[in-house]
Amino acid sequence: MAPTIVVERSRGYLAVQDLGRPGHRADGVPPGGAMDRLALRLANLLAGNVGTAAALEWSVGESVLRLARDTRLAIAGAGARATLDGETAPLWTSIAARAGSALRLEPTPGGRFCYVAIAGGIDVPIVLGSRATYLPARFGGHEGRALDAGDALAAGAPRDALPAEGAAIPESLRPAYDSAAPIRVVATAQAELLDERGWRALLGEEHRIGPGDRMGYRLDGPAMPPRAADALPSEGACAGAVQLPGDGHPIVLMPDGPTVGGYAKPAVVIGADLARLAQRPIGGAVRFARVEVVEAQAATRRAEAKGEELARYLRELAENDIRRSR
Amino acid sequence: MTPDETGAPRTAHAAHEPRIAPLGDAALTVVFGERIDAALGERVRRAASSVRRAAAAGAIAGVVDVVPAYTTLVVHYDPLAVEHATIAARVLELVRALPDAADGVVDAPRHHVLSVRYDGPDLDDVARRCGLGVREVVERHASAEYRVELVGFVPGFGYLAPLDPALVLPRRDRPRRAVPAGSVAIAGAQTGVYPLTTPGGWHLIGRTDVALFDPARAEPALLRVGDRVRFVPSA
Repeated sequence: MAPTIVVERSRGYLAVQDLGRPGHRADGVPPGGAMDRLALRLANLLAGNVGTAAALEWSVGESVLRLARDTRLAIAGAGARATLDGETAPLWTSIAARAGSALRLEPTPGGRFCYVAIAGGIDVPIVLGSRATYLPARFGGHEGRALDAGDALAAGAPRDALPAEGAAIPESLRPAYDSAAPIRVVATAQAELLDERGWRALLGEEHRIGPGDRMGYRLDGPAMPPRAADALPSEGACAGAVQLPGDGHPIVLMPDGPTVGGYAKPAVVIGADLARLAQRPIGGAVRFARVEVVEAQAATRRAEAKGEELARYLRELAENDIRRSR
Repeated sequence: MTPDETGAPRTAHAAHEPRIAPLGDAALTVVFGERIDAALGERVRRAASSVRRAAAAGAIAGVVDVVPAYTTLVVHYDPLAVEHATIAARVLELVRALPDAADGVVDAPRHHVLSVRYDGPDLDDVARRCGLGVREVVERHASAEYRVELVGFVPGFGYLAPLDPALVLPRRDRPRRAVPAGSVAIAGAQTGVYPLTTPGGWHLIGRTDVALFDPARAEPALLRVGDRVRFVPSA
């Protein structure tokens, strides 16, 4: 298949991701998929794809992608500045790119992950129901690995109705990555494995994002040693779980994190806030607040409703454009 | 006694009544007990089978994954399809409906026989530390029937128990950066086979050519919780 996009340079991390492969955790396969699911979905909608199409997940390192054909693309997320043949390419916007043009992404402060969606979606084989790259076991995506200079990727057939060129998600409707609102967590069955002092440290103090990757982010800040660090039988875990190893420095599991673990997990970051945490740069400050599961799920429903509203808005733009052009 | 969030009283030993708590807003944990024991593990497996079957039959909505472990069962679900309170109540109903007696696992365990070349780089060291000859280490490891207690940590990795007490050693002080796929290993009271090349701290006593994980297979992981495994020394 003729390539649509060729990687000319990749100084950071670049890999094919979609919304992942839930349904295989009993086999030890984590769901994986985009660190910022909403940004991937919106990039796809702007490029004329269904939200679940595969796109490129980019992080923290200059990348140059050459478009081998005329195509529509969109970039969404945080922490990048983009140019197309040297001209500023706005994020959150449906962009028509001509064959031979070069899209360059450079890191900026304030975020970590951006998604480059191409009309038709990135066409790589489906493995366990998804095109997401699972790096630890080297499967999925493009050959189970991050992309390098020289890699060529094909796109699927674009859909008939693309958004209008230049259609954009207004700034007021984009995710608020720089919000100082605390990251919400729900207490788990292991809540009592953290004592009162530990809970006060978790909820009352500022933490900083430490080293981390798609499997998990370490948090620097006050230590929160769990009770009974040694004796816990392993049990099912999930993305967002705030794990406490014996040294008391939490590790927040991310989408490629292990499906089971023996560390205490007294709290889990709510689904609606995980992307905002994932987008925090290393060294960035973060605070947590505890909520009940009812509130967490209400937040998830609100976020989904907002996503659907944006999808409708883009469809209306496309329809209006078609009507005007008749 | 304090009621748990489903209104059921929470007792100190939870002998028959598990407690359920959220694991975030897209999963819940059913806690059957606090300490590992064989009967408890059996109960967890039967509960897992029951939830899986109910989900396949459409008798419980929104279930995405069912992950049994030693003393707990985690059920992952779609929070847009079902609320926590609803699915927690449904899961509790299914668990309460389990028969008390172990009258057979709902999903029959499969039996696996894995051929092993017992020539691992840690075999001599294990023998020395256990005060046994290498042959005896091999015999003790290969003469047991193991049960898969847990699957996870990496795709396809099954934690197998019980390991012969004479072979129990703590993990290596210094893990290896890359344990070759197929390595047969022991640590603590368990044994297992590394399905992929990954870092690892267990003692490597042999290799098998059996693929414990293959994402291209219809059932990518060979081992499921509750399955039985035997090792056979290859010539």
